[in-house]
Amino acid sequence: MSTTPRVSSAIPGEPAHFGSVLAHQPAIAASFFALYGRFWGSDVLAARIKEVARMRNARVTECGFCRNVRFDKAVAQGLGEAVVDDITDGYETSARLTDAEKAVLKFTDALIHDPELLNRDARAALQRHLTPAQIAELGLGVTLFLALAKALITMGLEPDAMERTVLPTPAVLEAAE
Amino acid sequence: MSAPAGKGPVHAALAGDPVLAEHYAAFRARAEGALNPRLVALIRDAIAAVHGIEAAAIDDAALDNRTRACVAYARRIPFEHTAITDPEAAEVVAHLGEPGFVALSVVAALADAECRAGLVDLPGLVGV
Repeated sequence: MSTTPRVSSAIPGEPAHFGSVLAHQPAIAASFFALYGRFWGSDVLAARIKEVARMRNARVTECGFCRNVRFDKAVAQGLGEAVVDDITDGYETSARLTDAEKAVLKFTDALIHDPELLNRDARAALQRHLTPAQIAELGLGVTLFLALAKALITMGLEPDAMERTVLPTPAVLEAAE
Repeated sequence: MSAPAGKGPVHAALAGDPVLAEHYAAFRARAEGALNPRLVALIRDAIAAVHGIEAAAIDDAALDNRTRACVAYARRIPFEHTAITDPEAAEVVAHLGEPGFVALSVVAALADAECRAGLVDLPGLVGV
């Protein structure tokens, strides 16, 4: 995996990172940030559950940037580091993760890794804990987490090293509405 | 041929939230709109084939060097994204330029994720 950017920053004075590289395509960037802000701004599915899925994706896809970022809305909803530490192989036995979060993690693993994992019991568990609207939002989230992590990695935007960083949760910009 | 912009399993699953569905469709359309439509179709078909999903067959021998390099790059996304080398990426940049490389990376990664959303039957889980 390369940690040398394979594309330059399109924003003068800024290093190559996801935002500055995506700026090579302003229309894609604008539509992505509008979508991502709308997704995180929706409370149909709690930010904590979205973040649980994002953390799992970060670990499976080996996205170091994603793995070290925390969104503040999920932290405020109780997603501390002890819980995040349990989002690893064997999460099924965690005492910190809720049953709903374990069902979400199984779905996440199925989508990003092996669809066979979503067997009849796993589907039933997901549908028992989440409403259809919540499953739809989760599906969108995992789709975006996976795609963006892979795009970030293939464009060489993985950091050499990175401290854990709490960032403001993406939000809809009024100017974009 | 793979689903056109605005369709596909993720968009279908969002039927109950038209605003979010519209935002998703717009993002995918902007990404795909930055590339030649024929290249987008090839990328989507190539990735679907990697996943074992029925798609139009691609005759690699009939592709020009530029297109062949882009398709080869895309085929690595589903299961080998961390193994793509600097020279492989550089070849795509040389053919498409940096903006094109960014668009191709987003389109290919999104196509992979959409295939996976289809394989878990996301719309069926939602009941649409």
